[in-house]
Amino acid sequence: MIVEYYRPQNLAEALALVDDPETKTVFMGGGSAIDRYKIEPFAVVDLQDLGLNTLRTKGNTLEIGATATLQAVYEQSQIQTGLKNAIYREASLNLRQVGTVAGTLVASDGRSPFATAMLALDPSITLIPGEERINLGDLLALRDKNLNSKLITKITLPLNVQLAYQYVARTPADLPIVCTAVALWPSGRTRVVLGGSGETPILAMDGPERGGAEISAAAAYSQAGDQWASAEYRQEMAQVLVKRCLSRLDR
Amino acid sequence: MNVNLIVNGKAHPVEISPGDTLLKVLRSLGYFGVKHGCETGECGACTVLLDTVPINACIFLAAQAEGYHLETIESVGEHPQQGWKTTSGLHPIQEAFVESGAIQCGFCTPAMILAGKELLNREPNPSEAEIREAFSGILCRCTGYIKPIQAVLRAAAALRGEEIEPFERRIPASFDFLSDDADSSTGFDRSPGEPERDEPAGEVITATRVMPRIQVTPEIESWQRVGKPERKVDAVKLVQGKPAFASDLEKRGMMVAKVLHSPVAHARIKHIDKSKALALPGVAAVLTWQDIPRVVYSTAGQSDPIPGPLDSFSLDNKVRFVGDRVAFVAAETEEIAIQALELIEVEYEPLGAVFDPGQALQPGAPILHDEPEYVNFAESDPSRNLAAEIRIDIGDVEKGFADADHIFEAEYEVPKVQQAHIEPHVSITYWDEDDRLVIYTSTQVPFHARRQLAPVLGLPIKRIRVIKPRIGGGFGGKQEILSEDVAAHLTIATGRPVIYEYTREEEFIAARSRHPMRLRMKTGVKSDGTITANAMYALSDTGAYGGHALTVTGNTGHKSMALYVGDGDYRKSPNIRFYADVVYTNNPPSGAYRGYGVPQGFWAVERHLEKIANDLKMDPIEFRTKNSVREGELQPFSTAWSEGREPQPEIIETCGLEECIRQGKAAIGWDQKHGNQGWHKVQGKPHQRRGIGVALVMQGTAIPYLDMGSASIKMNDDASFNLLVGATDLGTGSDTVLAQMAAEVLGVAMEDIIIYSSDTDFTPFDKGAYASSTTYISGGAVVRAAEGAAKRIRLRAASMLNQETDDQLVNPEDIRLVDRRAVSPDGRSIPLTEIALETLHHSDQEQIMGIGSFMSPVAPPPFAAQFVELTVDVETGQIVVEKLVMAVDSGVIVNPLTASGQVEGGMTQALGYAVSEEMVYDSQGRARETDLRDYHIFQAHEMPDLTTIFVETFEPSHPFGVKAVAEIPIDGVAPAVGNAVFDAVGVNIDNNPITPEKVWRELKVKEGKA
Repeated sequence: MIVEYYRPQNLAEALALVDDPETKTVFMGGGSAIDRYKIEPFAVVDLQDLGLNTLRTKGNTLEIGATATLQAVYEQSQIQTGLKNAIYREASLNLRQVGTVAGTLVASDGRSPFATAMLALDPSITLIPGEERINLGDLLALRDKNLNSKLITKITLPLNVQLAYQYVARTPADLPIVCTAVALWPSGRTRVVLGGSGETPILAMDGPERGGAEISAAAAYSQAGDQWASAEYRQEMAQVLVKRCLSRLDR
Repeated sequence: MNVNLIVNGKAHPVEISPGDTLLKVLRSLGYFGVKHGCETGECGACTVLLDTVPINACIFLAAQAEGYHLETIESVGEHPQQGWKTTSGLHPIQEAFVESGAIQCGFCTPAMILAGKELLNREPNPSEAEIREAFSGILCRCTGYIKPIQAVLRAAAALRGEEIEPFERRIPASFDFLSDDADSSTGFDRSPGEPERDEPAGEVITATRVMPRIQVTPEIESWQRVGKPERKVDAVKLVQGKPAFASDLEKRGMMVAKVLHSPVAHARIKHIDKSKALALPGVAAVLTWQDIPRVVYSTAGQSDPIPGPLDSFSLDNKVRFVGDRVAFVAAETEEIAIQALELIEVEYEPLGAVFDPGQALQPGAPILHDEPEYVNFAESDPSRNLAAEIRIDIGDVEKGFADADHIFEAEYEVPKVQQAHIEPHVSITYWDEDDRLVIYTSTQVPFHARRQLAPVLGLPIKRIRVIKPRIGGGFGGKQEILSEDVAAHLTIATGRPVIYEYTREEEFIAARSRHPMRLRMKTGVKSDGTITANAMYALSDTGAYGGHALTVTGNTGHKSMALYVGDGDYRKSPNIRFYADVVYTNNPPSGAYRGYGVPQGFWAVERHLEKIANDLKMDPIEFRTKNSVREGELQPFSTAWSEGREPQPEIIETCGLEECIRQGKAAIGWDQKHGNQGWHKVQGKPHQRRGIGVALVMQGTAIPYLDMGSASIKMNDDASFNLLVGATDLGTGSDTVLAQMAAEVLGVAMEDIIIYSSDTDFTPFDKGAYASSTTYISGGAVVRAAEGAAKRIRLRAASMLNQETDDQLVNPEDIRLVDRRAVSPDGRSIPLTEIALETLHHSDQEQIMGIGSFMSPVAPPPFAAQFVELTVDVETGQIVVEKLVMAVDSGVIVNPLTASGQVEGGMTQALGYAVSEEMVYDSQGRARETDLRDYHIFQAHEMPDLTTIFVETFEPSHPFGVKAVAEIPIDGVAPAVGNAVFDAVGVNIDNNPITPEKVWRELKVKEGKA
């Protein structure tokens, strides 16, 4: 249960608060992913007054403040259609108004459309203290280790990268059983990410060109069976959806 | 910690705990329009505006909200007349919700109004898609979203100063009324800002209409109130978010109850130690099986005698499913109660668990019910895990099979699904000043709850008062007595008021759900399509307890197997078999859910008949109508089974099925689409195929010779009437249609009828809201009560009129009550207000009142044709349902708005049953679905087009000719979807929901790649 609530006014104050040796203390974006029914006592540090909710274009990149809401990013005109799609499928309007970009990524699992699309775009994550920059894939893989007493301040996205997002679900607004995001750089670099299963989306391919994308996708989902779908189905869907993503990127 | 919250412009300095949600604090401040439906932000019932932005208060800390301006429904508008004070009245959007029939249970209404208001503030002329998007974060389980969306459109027009068309006129049904747009199925209206769709096959249409099409019966032409789209009598309070629901009640010193649920599927409680929990400050009571009397009962709310085994205890020394009760806690706060649960030490002695009903029947299977107190009903046999057994043979089934040219056999399966009413189960209990226990509860069965709980609590019935306030949806889930005894035991233990409110997770793990079944069909058919014999075997999983075990599964056969009797001589003497075993397993218990076993049966029957028609190369509709039961014929099961009671023959007096088919076909464009290969292809999308499907269904209306409702009515000084009914409006609008019937008989306006329902101390008995019975049964009682009062009014009116003249004397029976007057045949009239004053104050004083009861010897079946249009992605197996049409014969439609709301909401629930809803468990019996994220119910922005058509008939057994409407919409959508998938891609899915992988696998088999 939440035993303390802090709303720091600057970054230094925020960082100092999570170093509390007595009580486990976590940063809180919108708070929608916080499990307040946990029995163990913990404190939350509300980041809303830190000015981290900005969206700023810098050259070919978009710097998204950690506490920018999903809806704010969704309404940003420069982001890729594929990313818009993924955000739209991540949560309903009310939840998008509260859920922050960093909070959603940190709390995400493999069924997250947003994390799947973002991982394909290979954004860099800026952490403090130290202005350390790591990529999203590393962050998601080792969340506890990478975020120990560290705060995400911004996520930097490339804007000159095309992105397509496709999914299969039981209904249009249901969480995906399988989803794919394919990002295509002007250089030909292609990243293929699969979602719909597991603890985190999977990077199936990151290559200098698109060749082998479908095969890579199938291979990456060879063990992706769970209560929601068989690995066999997900493997084939990964190929179908990657093909559709590539087709969309060709338009 | 202290925070200052600004709510509706008013500052509230409050002391809170750091973890308090905004929902909790707002409700503690008296803003009861903010509702609790879940704890994860999925349902949106707790929507408030935070600096004009809609957010969910259940996932937002109160501390986070400091510094913002909060708006709740309480700021939006209010009743215009408050005694000598007038107010600015309701907001146009509230008015629109009231008049559009946008409210059913009303639990999500404040959230929708706030979301709609916020949208209209930034977009005065929104598209329907924009409204759907604004509602996307708010789940409604009742309406299918059509009417709330229409309400926002109407409010927008009103705010723009445009003239709004009233809902007065009935829209006549015409078999070709949709022919112009029958092929316009690709008119997807994209949500605002929604990017180009990357997703699945098909597109969703969002066109809607509020008033249904109605083919009227001539009988209704002269009626003033019955048949009209009257406003719901509870609408004005619900649009204001008034504290009308159970959890809105405030009691001084009320404690919070929590239940410790079993983490294991089958075990004996070897040792339980509550000492640490009791020692926690703020804990008032911890109850285990050792602390309360051991009284066996059934949690199924049904008439006496309960038609099922008695196999439950409030607390037992054995747990039988993951989620079963272990202990109750009452504490000063929810947080303390949760902490106390953690401190209860339980040692379980594991027992073997069985989750498959087939295995549970095998010798040597673990036995769930070995308690000596177990009380059998009929053929139940706990030593074989058998909760109920049904063996019905009608005619000579084996001879029928011998007569057949073809025998078709197949197996089908249906899943466990949840009612998912947005208001959880909730009860508040307290001792009143007379030491009587008051149970204020969200129930469908207040009178059964009182009777059944009395022995469990050690109280006589007369010392219990059950009050049902407004209910936030029930759908059968609240025909179960689940939360009442928990709070009551704790009130008895502590002497204090107690509230017990389920969490959403508890709804999934510890409430009841639809029976999953395996169904085996065997059908004999002649080459000309005549069914010679039809047999179904149902293996039904009742889970750990047997509430509703016999009756739900009995209805599986009683309705679905009765629809098709055969043709020719077989029509006169059908050969039908229905066998069922209802089996205990260590799965969570099944129970009542809208449809009550019938959707399960029709999944099998309608999928099966589709295959037979295809094999015989017959038109699927012609094949069905050739064999379906008709007006004037016997309901074949009526002589064989009646929910565990003596069956009596019932003739079907009205059947509008063929007209329903005709209307439904026209509405969906069946003749243009079915068999049209060109239509099945989607231009520019080679991986998509369109399909169209149909299912015919029938239901019942109440339980004959058993279900009884009653009413009383009294006349007041101003010729208004207090109508007291035991009937239980669970959001369907039954209070409204009952008031309409009373107003019709008494010749008064709706506002002259003040209806009060469901209070065991003040209202007469009614069996409760189930079996699609209220309009028919309780309505019959209301008519009789009103006729009793009307008779006295006519007598007194005749006396008063005859005092005026010595000429032609007026016969009381010739006086009509109309327009609030008693009118004699010669045109003279007296206002009812004068009669009221005359009888109460002036001469021969008497209280004009009437009472009435109604029980029916028949259960007249409603009939319907349900149509589906969809698109299948042949590469992924994903289906997108684009259009649902239901043409239904529910007798006379008392209120087109509330009745069509039943159809729209029912179809929407059924759509979930078709494609997405199921409850899945792992090998240890642990639930996969514990929230509304994984248990996906349809949202506003993903709905198909819904069309409702009423084909009225006049059912002679009811004074206003009504039949049921509430349950039948849920019966046929799933098989119609299955049939449409077959039409689209030629594969049969025999177990719902029809998920993408199932379709994909069958496509692989068809292609020979499996």
